Amino acid sequence: MMQYDRAELPAHHDEIRREVRAFLKQSFPPERRANSDFTSGHNPAFSEQLGNKGWIGMTWPARYGGGEKTFFERYVVTEELLAAGAPVSAHWIADRQSGPLLLRYGSQAQRERYLPDITAGKSYFSIGMSEPGSGSDLASVRTSAVRGDGGWVINGTKLWSTDAHRNHFMIALVRTRPVSDNRHAGLSQFVIDLRRDNVAVRPILNMGGQEDFNEVVFEDTFVPDDRMIGEEGNGWEQVTSELSYERSGPERFLSAFRVYVELIRAVGTEPSDAQAATIGRLAAHFLTLRRMSISVAGMLESGGNPVVEAALVKELGNNFEKELPDIARAALAGGARPAAFEAAYQDTMLGSPAFTLRGGTREILRGVIARGLGLR
Amino acid sequence: MEQMLIDSAERILRDGCDKALLDSAEAGEFPQALASLLIDNGFDQLGAPDSGTSGDDAYGVLRVAGRFALPVPLAEWQLARVLGVSGYVSVGRMSADGSSAFGVPWAQQCERVIGVSDDGRARLFTVAQCRIEPEAHLAGESRASVAGDSEPIDAPADVFGRMALSRVALSVGALEHVLELAITYVTEREQFGRTLSKFQSLQHYLAIMAADVAAAARATDAAIVSLETERFPLDVAAAKSRVGEATNRVAELAHQVHGAMGFTHEHQLHHFTRRLWAWRDEFGDEVFWQQRLGRHIAAAGPDEVWPFLATGG
Repeated sequence: MMQYDRAELPAHHDEIRREVRAFLKQSFPPERRANSDFTSGHNPAFSEQLGNKGWIGMTWPARYGGGEKTFFERYVVTEELLAAGAPVSAHWIADRQSGPLLLRYGSQAQRERYLPDITAGKSYFSIGMSEPGSGSDLASVRTSAVRGDGGWVINGTKLWSTDAHRNHFMIALVRTRPVSDNRHAGLSQFVIDLRRDNVAVRPILNMGGQEDFNEVVFEDTFVPDDRMIGEEGNGWEQVTSELSYERSGPERFLSAFRVYVELIRAVGTEPSDAQAATIGRLAAHFLTLRRMSISVAGMLESGGNPVVEAALVKELGNNFEKELPDIARAALAGGARPAAFEAAYQDTMLGSPAFTLRGGTREILRGVIARGLGLR
Repeated sequence: MEQMLIDSAERILRDGCDKALLDSAEAGEFPQALASLLIDNGFDQLGAPDSGTSGDDAYGVLRVAGRFALPVPLAEWQLARVLGVSGYVSVGRMSADGSSAFGVPWAQQCERVIGVSDDGRARLFTVAQCRIEPEAHLAGESRASVAGDSEPIDAPADVFGRMALSRVALSVGALEHVLELAITYVTEREQFGRTLSKFQSLQHYLAIMAADVAAAARATDAAIVSLETERFPLDVAAAKSRVGEATNRVAELAHQVHGAMGFTHEHQLHHFTRRLWAWRDEFGDEVFWQQRLGRHIAAAGPDEVWPFLATGG
């Protein structure tokens, strides 16, 4: 039905782990950010430092600046960064999915054009999937690209594109042929240059008062032919493969990790029975989710396509990271909350509604799982 | 883990462990024929020194046993053999003063009982010289307390954790079976002119169950892998906690999915859900193990929790 092998991170990866920890200690001193959410903390200088260390595009070929490392080594680096609350948002999407997409489907020229800057930590990508009328029903996108002279003319609006107002590129899923009986046909992906192409990028204030996500409007926006990724009409297959990269990583259960750390600081070395039970219960979840997530990384490493296993990690992990702040709050009920706990708690609560929305809503993920169980 | 052992256990239980047997065991009749067959095939020796098998084999077979709700004290025999005690023997949790063991399966059918305490001590009770009091059990499994004189016996420090892991492994098997029953039921049962599996609310229930079952299995595998390492006491704590949580949700949803059918005695579902509810309490409930794990983490402090989770310290 579903199978998680007993994959463990190889012991020799402890070396790179030590290296990351030493780096974080030195270049990212104690005033660590209050949360471990991968979408907050856009810091180009920090991303460039990571690029210099070889920690972006770690699994990619050396000719594009990649490190030719394993998925497991990348796993070690990304989980260490998240656990520490490092500001990883700038390069995160490029490293996690845009780069792998270009490696798999992009032309040789596209790989040479985009990948080296990504691995250097200097080039950042946003996602261009959702639209005002297309959320969970992604195949209903209406942004269209029509052939023009030497390229394509795009019209429509992309929504919820995180960091589009400060990133360099967006990969947009658009319709290149009219809707037919097969609604998954006729979609294509383009690289949009957010700084040079004729697009209007408007930040949208989120409920926490942050400007992270955006609306990106295309009005007769011209892009040359060489911006199309892969084959015309193959966008659905490509975008689906992109999603499988993003569903099972450590960012799917570590978003509230700093709240857990501050809870442990707040209760001290001699917690009450109830506090000890809370800390232990949450640890059991972290340990288990991490092992499931590493099992999926192992399956990706060996060329598998663990769609259902990845969806299960996201389902469990997102619900868990969403519940964690409230469980921690209950453990401290009746007493004063230390400022460091309060900061982590507030920051995480304000981001938490997104945990079960981004990367496929909880409801969509449950549908994917149900299909894997043979119910659909 | 030897796949041959798993397959052979599955064959024996498929033939010999059916609903009729479960009903008679719950009415108090010891399943002698099946017990003898398991011993004749050496399943009680799994994981014992010089048996040529590992703890992985022992707990792997217990997972299969859980899939069939096996009413034979196989886990207890396996621990006894690890401790070098042969014959018909059972195991229970020992009181702090060592005067009694409780939660002992099939005490009347055994010659001796091993009591294990949560701080890692073990004592051997001779049943003929003890007072035996039957205990109530949610699943109707045979349980009793055994009180009287006893002798200390050598046991590994993790002896209590090993028994906790037996309940975890049995539970994972039962959880897997319950999930399969639910999937089969919703794909066969029709209401409003379509199978239940076509209703989104039921699809989501099954997805939630599958996620919990997968997590329970992964947590259990991790504890099995860390047997006889320093990490074992904490990994078994995590497994007991995670499996206990899964039990609660999966059993509830399985009954909701099965409707009134699953509430009948005639249906097999309750043999599994009642055992799941009982097993989560045996050899330390979730809170007992959560506190152990939580105290360990709190004592090390906030800067050590990530190293602990990632690499064990």
